[in-house]
Amino acid sequence: MDAQTQPRQRLLYLHARTPSVFSEILGYTLIEPVKGFRVEISGGEFEWPYTTVHDAVVDGWQIVQFPHLQSPFSDTDLDVVGYEFVLQKMEVIP
Amino acid sequence: MTDNEYLLTDVDMARFLVNGYHVIELDLPAGLNEHIAEQLDGLAANPGDAITESVPELWQVVEHPQVRGALISLLGEDYAVNSHRHWHCKLPGSGDMQWHQDGTNNRNTTIDRLLGLYYPHTITAEMGPTVIVPGTQFRNAPTDRMATYTNIRGQVPLTVPAGSFAITHYDLWHGTASNRSSVKRHMIKFLFNRTSGNSAPSWNHDPEALKRERDWDARDKAQDAVNILSFGNPLGVSQSDHYKERIIRQACWQELLGNQEQQEASRF
Repeated sequence: MDAQTQPRQRLLYLHARTPSVFSEILGYTLIEPVKGFRVEISGGEFEWPYTTVHDAVVDGWQIVQFPHLQSPFSDTDLDVVGYEFVLQKMEVIP
Repeated sequence: MTDNEYLLTDVDMARFLVNGYHVIELDLPAGLNEHIAEQLDGLAANPGDAITESVPELWQVVEHPQVRGALISLLGEDYAVNSHRHWHCKLPGSGDMQWHQDGTNNRNTTIDRLLGLYYPHTITAEMGPTVIVPGTQFRNAPTDRMATYTNIRGQVPLTVPAGSFAITHYDLWHGTASNRSSVKRHMIKFLFNRTSGNSAPSWNHDPEALKRERDWDARDKAQDAVNILSFGNPLGVSQSDHYKERIIRQACWQELLGNQEQQEASRF
């Protein structure tokens, strides 16, 4: 198989409001398996493809990492925004 | 002493505590923005902190009564203009800058440092605007842990008219979009420091404003300080995070009011 016919891993980082797949997405990063691909913060209105993690799953994305809830927790401090899910789609990229 | 008309109101202050930024459209002398932009266009090298020596008209911006009024409100009458400042020139075709907080991570409730971002020309979405994430100023989030974020719900691109001055909490998450235009995007960053704690409010404070009851029907549409501080949730974060945000911002509010004892009591 060459790179043209071999399925490649598309990655989707979704930061959800809570660890539930039904909660609203607060952060969105799509990484295409294409040489030179860069992510980019939008300077204008960003159109959200999905409202929840579940929407993405319905669209064929598979969750490969769930939020790490075993990490140290503080009830007196705030750290990152939301709970990170990592999803993938294995697809042939033309 | 600054004319009270330029000091912030209780509502302005509450919104700053919730969102972490305040944008002012400065009433500058005619032609000043254009003159500054032309000088910046002509600079061959970045002079770093000496940008105010290369373009001395920038002092008219920093010392403008609207800027001073906002800074006195947030940092006290005796705030200091830090010697660090920087000209951020984003060239046509240059890429974005990912999310970060400036400095290392040891956040607290105090407002003791602010960034001031001056834009001498109108900033469009294509010019690589600064993008900020409201409400992130109290988060202890190392920049490395932001590397998997790109677009965040509630992010605000500072697409602003010429002569705008954005005051942001030093710890607010920020980045920039790519410059897809054919022009240089100029922004001058200034830094301001608190030099002493408040023993009383340093803004146009109305004690009656604190007597409002919580309005559970208004919530995020609230237009008064009490309810903005209670219900403001610009990113729509979880209940757990919102409760913690609220406690931190209330502690900060008490500190700004000069109520040191209440500030200690309200911080967990």
